[in-house]
Amino acid sequence: MRRLRISVDHTKCVGLTMCVNTARATFVLDESGKSSVSNPQGDTEEKIMEAAENCPVSAITIEDAETGERRFP
Amino acid sequence: MPIHDNLSAPDVIADPYPYFHQLRAEDPVHWNPLWGGWILTRHDDVQASFQDRRLSADRMSPFMAGLKKEEARELQPSYQIFSKWMVFTDPPQHTRLRMLVNKAFTPRRVESLRPRIQAIVDELLDRVIPAGRMELIHDFAYLLPVTVIAELLGVPARDHENIKKWSDEITLFIFGAIGVPDRRQRAQLAMLELANYLKAVIAERRQQSQDDLISALIAAQEQDDALTDDEIVSTCALVLFGGHETTTNLISSSVHALLKNPEQRHKLAENPSLISTAVEEFLRYDGPSKSMVRLALEDFELRGKQIKKGQRLLLIQSAANHDPERFADPDGLDITRQPNPHVAFGYGIHFCLGAPLARVETAITINTILQRLPKLRFAADTLEWHPTIVSRALKALPVAFS
Repeated sequence: MRRLRISVDHTKCVGLTMCVNTARATFVLDESGKSSVSNPQGDTEEKIMEAAENCPVSAITIEDAETGERRFP
Repeated sequence: MPIHDNLSAPDVIADPYPYFHQLRAEDPVHWNPLWGGWILTRHDDVQASFQDRRLSADRMSPFMAGLKKEEARELQPSYQIFSKWMVFTDPPQHTRLRMLVNKAFTPRRVESLRPRIQAIVDELLDRVIPAGRMELIHDFAYLLPVTVIAELLGVPARDHENIKKWSDEITLFIFGAIGVPDRRQRAQLAMLELANYLKAVIAERRQQSQDDLISALIAAQEQDDALTDDEIVSTCALVLFGGHETTTNLISSSVHALLKNPEQRHKLAENPSLISTAVEEFLRYDGPSKSMVRLALEDFELRGKQIKKGQRLLLIQSAANHDPERFADPDGLDITRQPNPHVAFGYGIHFCLGAPLARVETAITINTILQRLPKLRFAADTLEWHPTIVSRALKALPVAFS
C-alpha cells in the first residue's frame, strides 16, 4: 500500500467525528475537540478516502507521501 | 438595567442582539426562571457545550415524561416518529443514522446538484420578474429549498404543496410557536399524514429503486439491516422538514442583510467570487438557528454556576456569533470576514447535516438575485419576525425590483 500524507485543517474542522467513525484507526478526536491523524496507515486507503469524502466541511486533505500527488479533494 | 427574562419580549424578537450582549457581559451562564433553564451566550461556552458529553440532545423523553398522562398517551404516535429524529438522539443511535444519511449530503454530492439548483432559482425568478415585485419568502425562499430537498429525497413534484403544509404544522411544535392552541395535536396530525405519505413512497421505491435518498436508505436497510422501517420513515420526515424551514430563513435573512448594508451589497455584486465568505457571514450575522436546547446528564460546574442533572440549557448560537471576544465589530456585516468560526450550524456530532446544501443554495440564490435584480429594494416599512425562542425567521420580506 502506498503511504499517504493526511492533514486536517483545524480552521475548518467542527468536530463532527464523521472521519473518526469511518476510519477509527487513522483519525482521533484530540483535546481541542478537533480531528487529528493518529496513524496515517491505520485503515485501508479506501476507508481513509471515504472518511475524507464524508467530511461536510472539506477539512481533510490527502496526498501521496512519496510523489506529493493530491488524492483528495 | 437589570436583566429581564422574557426571551419572547417584542423587542428581543425584533432584534435579539442587544439583549444577548447584555446577558453575555453581565451573566454569561444565566439562570432564567421564566424559561426554566440556563442561558449560555459566550462563544467558547456555546461551542464547548455542543461537544460536552455531559449534555444530551434528547429533550423529547423528558418533555413526554413531563406531560399529563392523557396528553402523553394522546401524543404517543407522533412521539414514536419524533423521538427517532437524529437531532434528538445521542450516540450510539445517533452515529448509526448520521453515518447513513451523511453520504447523501457530502460537499461533492451537493456540488453535483449545482446546475439543477441554478435552474430552479432561474425558473422561480422568471415567474416573478414581470410583476416587478414579490414577497421574497412566499414567492421564492419557501419554494427553492422544498423543491431541492424533495427531489434529493425522491418525492414527486406534484406533492410539494402538501409537504410544505405538513412541514408548517410540524414547525408549530418543533420551534415552539407560542400562543397557538392545540399546536401539539395539530403537529401530530401533520406528522402522521406525512408518515403515511412517506410509507407509500417507500413501498413504491422497494418495488422500483431510483437514484434518490429514499432508495439509498432502503438499500442500506437490505444490505446490513441497519435501519428499521420506522427509522426510514422518521429520517425521511426529518430530512424533508429540516431541509427547508431553516434554508428559507437563511435566504430571507441574507437578502435582508444585504438590503440593510448597501456598501456590502455593492461589493458582492461587483465581486461574485466573494460569495463563499459572504454566505458564512450571513450565517454569522443573522443566522436562522438562534439557539439549541440541551439537557444535563449529571451535576457539574460552569463559570461558577452549579448545573444540576436534569436541568436544561439554551445554547444561544446568535449570541455566540456576536461575541466581541471572538469577532471584531460583531454587529457589523463584513462579507470578506475570515476566519469566521461561527456556530450557526452548531458544532460537534450534531453539526447540521444539510450545511453543504444550505451553503450552495444560498450562494447560488444571492449571486443570481444580485445579477438579475439589480434594482432590488425594500417594499415595506416595517418587518416582523416569528415569536420563537429557537429560530430567527422573518414573517415576510416584500421587495420590489422594477
